[in-house]
Amino acid sequence: MKPAREKTDLDVPDQLSGPRRIIGDRGDHFLRKVEGETGADISACYQCERCTNACPVSAYMDVNPHQVIRYVQLGWREELLRTTTIWVCLSCEMCTTYCPNNVDVAKTINHLRNMAFLSKVVPAEKILAVFHKTFVNELQRFGRVNEFWLMGSLNRHPDVLKEKIKTGALKEELVLGFEMFRKGKLKLLPHRCNEMKKIREICRK
Amino acid sequence: MNLAFYPGCSLEGMANDYERSITAVFDKLDVKLVEIDDWTCCGATAAHSLSETMAVLLPAKNLAAAEKMGLDIVSPCANCFNRLTYSRKMILKNIYDVPWKVTGKTKIYDMTRFLAQPHMIDQIKQKVLMPLEGLRLVSYYGCQMVRPPKITGFTDYENPQTLDKIAVALGAISLDWSYKATCCGASIGIGRRDIQFNLSTRLIKKAHQAGAEAIIVSCPLCQSNLDMVQNEKGMPKIPVFYFTEMMRLAFEGEKCSIQNFRMHLTDPGRLLREKGLVK
Ligand code: SF4
Ligand code: SF4
Repeated sequence: MKPAREKTDLDVPDQLSGPRRIIGDRGDHFLRKVEGETGADISACYQCERCTNACPVSAYMDVNPHQVIRYVQLGWREELLRTTTIWVCLSCEMCTTYCPNNVDVAKTINHLRNMAFLSKVVPAEKILAVFHKTFVNELQRFGRVNEFWLMGSLNRHPDVLKEKIKTGALKEELVLGFEMFRKGKLKLLPHRCNEMKKIREICRK
Repeated sequence: MNLAFYPGCSLEGMANDYERSITAVFDKLDVKLVEIDDWTCCGATAAHSLSETMAVLLPAKNLAAAEKMGLDIVSPCANCFNRLTYSRKMILKNIYDVPWKVTGKTKIYDMTRFLAQPHMIDQIKQKVLMPLEGLRLVSYYGCQMVRPPKITGFTDYENPQTLDKIAVALGAISLDWSYKATCCGASIGIGRRDIQFNLSTRLIKKAHQAGAEAIIVSCPLCQSNLDMVQNEKGMPKIPVFYFTEMMRLAFEGEKCSIQNFRMHLTDPGRLLREKGLVK
């Protein structure tokens, strides 16, 4: 007679043979929230890693795109908001395009970025976070974004200024900026649009 | 035929040479571009990074304005095109409270796709005064114009053809390469120069390996990334042109002066003189 096999982790528990459910180790409300807000079918992911393989910057991420999806399923919100991933993601849409299960990975990551802006978590890539904010501030000011003013406002931000002086990027940027000015690439006076009131209202949403 | 023209912020500043070449090209074609009155920024990457709603509503103003004009929109910038199309798609879902009246009926073209339609290609062929014979080009599309295909409507998103078709119509040789739609790093260089550098250098090197003498693009950000990265030591020097600059050159022939290309950081003068395209 065959000895009874010991139970292992691989044994499928009975309740999984019913309708498919993924329950995160912190409950599935985070998964449901993200799915509801993005419309992305995050539960459909089977961790094939195609998104990560397609991603041009996965080498610079601490949590790869397929892992982001898993983290959402598990409900690991804080871990996600602290990643560099949500900041270095270029929204290049490779992941979404190649996912065999139509999971909108790029939209999910972008949504996490939106959440990070609303949360108190310190962004892993400060300059990039400040850049996005500055861009929208500039947009609210004139309705259009002028590169010269944008870079000016960005560099005046204390955190950015400190960082850029430390790395020497500021000097290089000034040289490049001058070269661009000489070539006529900079428009010094921004254009101001009408209907700024409505634009500002939108930017508050 | 008239089209509502949405230039986008870059074309007022860093890429004003792109706008000038567009004006020059469309002067010669039977299509009139009417700039959308008081257009505003589409929000680019920053708006959707901050809030999805903002990213849908910002472009809506321009959609509304174009609807009022009763014209289809054409956008020369890949990112603007993507944001406008995305916004239109979302507005059609009727879940956003849009402060302007938008039905979402207008068509949105990116400029390359508009010009690569068979009847436009025929027209381009007729207008060519000086074919760009022997000029070996690779076309670079970048991300936002082609992906995600569900939004942009590109069915050949792995191997897009619009720029290639235009290049061939101008008499140039359009080379095949595998990096047509590989990301150049977009605006990540602001905070992470290392990433930007790696992505953009790879593109330049691959274009060089493919035997290209120049790259044609249609996105202001791609152009500036690919152009600027060649400032670094040890890089092959490959001029990066807006495709409309090449069209202008072919349309105007000898009248197109080298001055039109002075805004490039990687000087295209040598290449163009070598090929006998400018004096
Ligand atoms: S490609 Fe899709 S299914 Fe595969 S790991 Fe990524 S999200 Fe999951
Ligand atoms: S959208 Fe972001 S995560 Fe997806 S492939 Fe591009 S960089 Fe990677």
